[in-house]
Amino acid sequence: MEILSDVTFNIQLRKKTFCDYRLKVDQKMMTLTFPQVLQLRQKVNSLTSTENLENIIQNENYVLLFIADKKYLLFLEIPKLLDLKEELSYCFENF
Amino acid sequence: MKTAIRKQMTISADVMDLLNDQIALEMHASASYLAMASWCDQRSLLNSKAFFYKQAEEERGHAMKIFEFINEAGGASISPAIPSVNNDFEGLREIYEASLDQEIQVTQSIYKCFKKARSVDDFASEVFLQWFVSEQVEEEDTVRGILDTFDLMGDMPLKMIDERLPKE
Repeated sequence: MEILSDVTFNIQLRKKTFCDYRLKVDQKMMTLTFPQVLQLRQKVNSLTSTENLENIIQNENYVLLFIADKKYLLFLEIPKLLDLKEELSYCFENF
Repeated sequence: MKTAIRKQMTISADVMDLLNDQIALEMHASASYLAMASWCDQRSLLNSKAFFYKQAEEERGHAMKIFEFINEAGGASISPAIPSVNNDFEGLREIYEASLDQEIQVTQSIYKCFKKARSVDDFASEVFLQWFVSEQVEEEDTVRGILDTFDLMGDMPLKMIDERLPKE
């Protein structure tokens, strides 16, 4: 993964210290604690279940997501929501 | 002083998800047992009523045990939504059969969690789940025993069958 260290992605989740995580979505930088990351993971996993995704696509085609105890509000279209899910699952691979 | 470094979670994220599903299943089982208890209570089937009230408490107890374990292991427990619960039953035997079906479903779900914990080397969860594996053997055996009583007593009136069921 070192090879990707200087590449920036649209969505990035980085661990700064053991209880400080930085989530970058496009230009927006957000600070999250570990429990907030866990909560985000749960929300994103729930939103991306087949049934819920279908529901989103048939209605608004985007989601508004409160994160970090409602400190930030994110506007996510489906591809971005899926990217966020990917990023979160990557973050939890080592747990 | 060196910075204390620890993993935030001692539980695997995949096992945590399955355990959260298990909480929902146990809470649903608890709600179903309440519906069964109510049916029996309305018909003055005293032993069955007491049995199902106790089962409802036990299932909730199981859910709480898992709930606390997830948080203790650094994860995030999710308080579940309880989907619709069946309140319509045809008879007492049907209720006990539904209860056995429910216990079998819970057992299978516990096995799923156990297998996952084993496959990802989540030893803490595996040890924690061992108690549930033994508990489910006991639960299923109790309901099977009651269904045997129904078979033995044939077409006796409900009240008489109920009086011969174990007092809980």
